[in-house]
Amino acid sequence: MSNGAPPTSSRPPTERAGLAAPATIKFSPEQLAEVRRLQGLYPDARGALLPVLHMAQDTFGYLSLEAEAYVAGLFGLSPAHVHEVVTFYTLYFQQPKGRHVVGVCHNLSCHLAGAQDILRHFEARLGIARGETTDDGRVTLQAVECLCACEAAPMAQVDDRYEMQLTPEKIDRILDGLR
Amino acid sequence: MPKVTIDGKEIEVEAGANLIEAARRLGIEIPHYCYHPGLSIAGQCRLCMVDIDKAPRPTIACNTLAADGMVVHTETDRVKETRRSIMEFHLINHPLDCPVCDQAGECWLQIYYMKHGLYDPRMTDEKVHKPKAVPLGPHVMLDAERCILCSRCVRFCDEITGTGELGIFSRGDRSEIGLFPGQDLENNYSGNVVDICPVGALTDRDFRFQVRVWYLDTTKSICPGCARGCNIDVHVNRKRPHHAGGRRVARLKPRFNDAVNAWWICDVGRYGFGSVDDESRIRFARQRGQDLTRDDALGLVIAALRDHAPDEIAILASADLANEDLFALRRLAEHRGIRQVAFRVPPATPAADDDFLLRADRHPNSRGAEIIGLDGDAAAILARCRAGSIKVLWVIGHDITAAGWPARDVADALEHVGSIIYTGTNDNGTSALATLVLPLAAWVERDGTFTNFLGRVQRFRAAVEPLGDALAGWDLFGRVLGALGGPVAGGRAELWFRELARTVPAFDGLSYQSIGDGGAMLAGAAPTTAPEPPARRANAAASVAEVSR
Repeated sequence: MSNGAPPTSSRPPTERAGLAAPATIKFSPEQLAEVRRLQGLYPDARGALLPVLHMAQDTFGYLSLEAEAYVAGLFGLSPAHVHEVVTFYTLYFQQPKGRHVVGVCHNLSCHLAGAQDILRHFEARLGIARGETTDDGRVTLQAVECLCACEAAPMAQVDDRYEMQLTPEKIDRILDGLR
Repeated sequence: MPKVTIDGKEIEVEAGANLIEAARRLGIEIPHYCYHPGLSIAGQCRLCMVDIDKAPRPTIACNTLAADGMVVHTETDRVKETRRSIMEFHLINHPLDCPVCDQAGECWLQIYYMKHGLYDPRMTDEKVHKPKAVPLGPHVMLDAERCILCSRCVRFCDEITGTGELGIFSRGDRSEIGLFPGQDLENNYSGNVVDICPVGALTDRDFRFQVRVWYLDTTKSICPGCARGCNIDVHVNRKRPHHAGGRRVARLKPRFNDAVNAWWICDVGRYGFGSVDDESRIRFARQRGQDLTRDDALGLVIAALRDHAPDEIAILASADLANEDLFALRRLAEHRGIRQVAFRVPPATPAADDDFLLRADRHPNSRGAEIIGLDGDAAAILARCRAGSIKVLWVIGHDITAAGWPARDVADALEHVGSIIYTGTNDNGTSALATLVLPLAAWVERDGTFTNFLGRVQRFRAAVEPLGDALAGWDLFGRVLGALGGPVAGGRAELWFRELARTVPAFDGLSYQSIGDGGAMLAGAAPTTAPEPPARRANAAASVAEVSR
């Protein structure tokens, strides 16, 4: 009974996954120092995974599989585990996103205050459906769950700002300001 | 040690035992999906809810340690209703594809629905659809719709192999298990995730659609794939052979033994049984290509051993043979005064130990062959063949034309040997050159024992009939020995083992009864435990490093 053993998982996961060597996916020395600082804040370094993934997203534009594998390497985690986290949260982008992200709330309060009309106006003005990015890479439009600003319904988050009591005119003004 | 009362029965369990294990000891089964004694607690499936006195609501039994004075109820109306609701929840999106699902018949969704569910389904919405028949590496097939997200497979890859290939991606009712995109489940223990999957989400690519599980018979056995001797069950398909193209051995499954392999076996062993039902099996004896009756063939062997001087005879025995076979062979060699007996033929490509169960020595009984006294110098036998001093070379199981010896030396040796007798289960390069070929029964076709590398003697049992005229080793050697006037132990493997235990001191005191299902150590050998899984060892090393930092 001498069968050859199948290959074991000794090769690095990125290589097994057939991914290119992440030459361009690399933090600067300052960022790596920040990663270590964040990891030191938690009893288990893994706790810093969320902020480090945000760093990676801000640095590399979105969380490609290469970026996930790179971050996994920084934590000594398997890429599958980082992929679990990235696919769980909607604020992590697995595809390239626009320069600006518009998240329109469509939960109860905003819905009652006309969120669907607001979304439709965004879609018409941008020429894309929710979940899509404009061809020029300017804006990604999303429908999102409650952002805790029901008193200002209907509302949306545009990049890091809350835009409240939205009207079509206000939307036009906002979009004109996004370059 | 805490004493708990479960359903009115009191039991004392060791500290650290959870309520599922405590109840199991009382013969009370608390239903569960995600809990597995070899893995960490996930608390994910919520099915093991029990009522505990003074607790306000049902509690999961897997994550509750038995505590002194605890009073537990597993069959209250509230527990039953909880189970029913949880079953309904698990089955909300489960496809009704039992008729085409390989798990049917050994599926814990089916079993628990009948035992604890039996509700009228209320789902009217379309079920959530997910990927089906997705290959995860060479051995495992995923059906994401059937998955109940118990995470056993994910934990197995994290906590046992430490390879971490699997994860649960997305969330809510879109959650599904999978691999990091582009990656494969390619560790040498991947088949175990199929065993521990309680539903039809992970099925075995080799076994899929071969035969329905209710047609299978189970026989306790030992894996012959390496010197570890993992305990297994052989599942054979005797009732519907036409369903699987005549393939009798359907699959091998690990059998729990905490002294050897715990719950696991490796893929090399699990999928290494193909030779048993292979085209290359030798069914009948033959001389230079002409079929012979068994008696005629044995007659030729007897004549060859009788008519040549012991110095002119050499035997290459095999560590794939059982202890009983090797002992009969030793008796035969002693009776005829044959001293040139060896069993270590170097493999063409030397293997290595893996980091868990698989041993570099891919033979199940090298230790037995060594102790029974057949450990001669095989290279010296080859040299004497080349020198022309061997007239009869009896090769058992080996293919010396594909061994780790220079091909020219082997060809030279075979050219100078008068007659080559080959005895084995399957044809190979050596049987093709042999003057006389006799078939041997495969390990699943006969009873016997192997001695593992740590000196643990373990029994395997016949699961199917030998093919054609094939005989077990002890039987074939015993018939030759008897015809030459030697002392034959009898017509059953057990009788040969009895003689072995009487004759070889290391086996002193052992019997088929004392070996039982779990095995027994040779005299003087230290008791064994299953090795620590690689992931546990890595974690232990990491925490030692942490402490010393």
